[in-house]
Amino acid sequence: MPQIEVSALTKTFRVPEREGGLWASVRSVVRRKYKEVRAVEQVSFTVEKGEIVGFLGPNGAGKTTTLKMMSGLLHPTSGACSVMGHFPWRRESTYLRRISMLMGQRSQLSWDLPAMDSFLVHAAVYDLPKRAFQETLDELVTLLDIRDILKKQVRTLSLGERMKCEICVSLLHRPDVLFLDEPTIGVDITMQARIRDFIADYNRRYGATLILTSHYMADVTALCKRIIVIDHGRILFDGLLGDLSARLAPFKVIKIDLDHEADGYDFAALGDVLQRQERKIMLRVPKKSAPAVTDRLLRDLSVLDLTIEDPPIEDVISLAFGRKADEPQPAGVSK
Amino acid sequence: MRVIVRSFAAFLRAAVGTMLQYRGEIILWAIWGLINPAVLYAIWSAAAESNVDQTLAGFSRGQFAAYYFCIMIIGHFTTAWDAYELGYLIRSGSLSSQLLRPILPIWSALAANMAYKITTLAFVGPMWALFFWIVRPTFDAAPWQIVLGIVATMLAGLLNFLLGYVVALVSFWSPKLDAVGEAYFGIGMVFGGRFAPLAALPGILYQAAYILPFRWMYAFPAELMMGKIKTPAEALSGLTIQLVWLLGIVFVFRFGWKAAVRHYSAVSG
Repeated sequence: MPQIEVSALTKTFRVPEREGGLWASVRSVVRRKYKEVRAVEQVSFTVEKGEIVGFLGPNGAGKTTTLKMMSGLLHPTSGACSVMGHFPWRRESTYLRRISMLMGQRSQLSWDLPAMDSFLVHAAVYDLPKRAFQETLDELVTLLDIRDILKKQVRTLSLGERMKCEICVSLLHRPDVLFLDEPTIGVDITMQARIRDFIADYNRRYGATLILTSHYMADVTALCKRIIVIDHGRILFDGLLGDLSARLAPFKVIKIDLDHEADGYDFAALGDVLQRQERKIMLRVPKKSAPAVTDRLLRDLSVLDLTIEDPPIEDVISLAFGRKADEPQPAGVSK
Repeated sequence: MRVIVRSFAAFLRAAVGTMLQYRGEIILWAIWGLINPAVLYAIWSAAAESNVDQTLAGFSRGQFAAYYFCIMIIGHFTTAWDAYELGYLIRSGSLSSQLLRPILPIWSALAANMAYKITTLAFVGPMWALFFWIVRPTFDAAPWQIVLGIVATMLAGLLNFLLGYVVALVSFWSPKLDAVGEAYFGIGMVFGGRFAPLAALPGILYQAAYILPFRWMYAFPAELMMGKIKTPAEALSGLTIQLVWLLGIVFVFRFGWKAAVRHYSAVSG
């Protein structure tokens, strides 16, 4: 039985809107106009225990709204969601004790106190036995390498240090389901990698289920086998990361290194020229025609080196999001 | 219940720690709490002394001194700022972290409220003594009135905190509603008997003061402690009314909170 079941989940926000300018402003006092914005529309998926699922999508796609509904912060407009047998928006304490939500842009720590004080409050709120709390704390402090900063006021910590403390406080009660909303936002590349390693390790150790949203593709590719691509509140793709390009962007990228320049050669007739620098050419061609194009390049030109690759995941995602909302969705896309 | 007690103790320790980080700001707030009744005492006692019988609304200068001395202390123990604060927490998104905890955010707000009262006591205590020494109030209270007055003050503190929190729930529908806090404070000033003893209010306002809950937050414990409420029966009926208001507000909070959190979706983004 899946640990998370989401069915036709929809969230509509009613937001005021008006034209710009003073007159419109005055008019809006008397007659306010509202617009219904569908942040999430008929989203359905299931997640098994221990899975790490990445939510991908541009700003305003509906990723965070979906996460907030799953964590119980938001009530859905319609649809159903069950997490470990609980309806999140009932906000039962038995449910809240088993989950954690780490929001990269929101702090759970008291800024004016050392992080340790927030950890102690957390232990009390989650009613952690003293011994279990101390053991988990020691383990997390060691893994995250934060022993030296526990006594420092949170507002004096660097962003990376603070994020590590945020992760620590989120995991002190060993949640079974962890919602991570942009967990590496703003931190440097080295720290991003360390946070990713730590999250993967937590998943392995405790079999926790992780739902992750991130703008950093590296977070997703390093942590998630399965991804859900969401845009305009709808799911565009739900499947293995490896299948993403095949479904959303069935292209190959052919890179060639020539012996000498081929000035008059019409590369555009073979595919999209992504890059052309003297003797180095990069072409994007439909997957089906990749063998024929390769054959022709090898016959027509003096090639020193040739590689055929899947397009970078970033390109696949931008191709998918570049598709207009009213365009038909690719085959195999769940609705 | 055990979890609530444990959490509350932890919130209280953390809140005291936070308050102690900002000693200067906390002391300024405490001074503000002293200035208001001191100024009003000066105005009303001068007005009383200008009358032929040297009283106003049945209060002599010494009784005004006693009244505002009590209001100064009650004001400290009943102060609450959630009517302003909750809207800020919603606007800034800080409430989300609190809503994800398996305990209602009101407990941490109550702990912060109590932490303020405890941490500033060492500062305001000597100020009260100084005020007492300067104005030489006329007290006519028996020990039982003082004891019940202390009980009434504690109930008043809870009442004001809870009512302020319930009023603040409006912020879930309109988070930029700072006027709610201002209106709540202003109405409490007049109908609670902080601006003037209720006996000095004109007819309709005086009657309204007896219907609204504010009297039970300020004037009632003050009148009890200074000996204006003469009989135990009167005192006990006042305490009962305080309890009834408390239960009513808890009831409204339970339903109001559920509706408010449900609406949170519309503003949290």
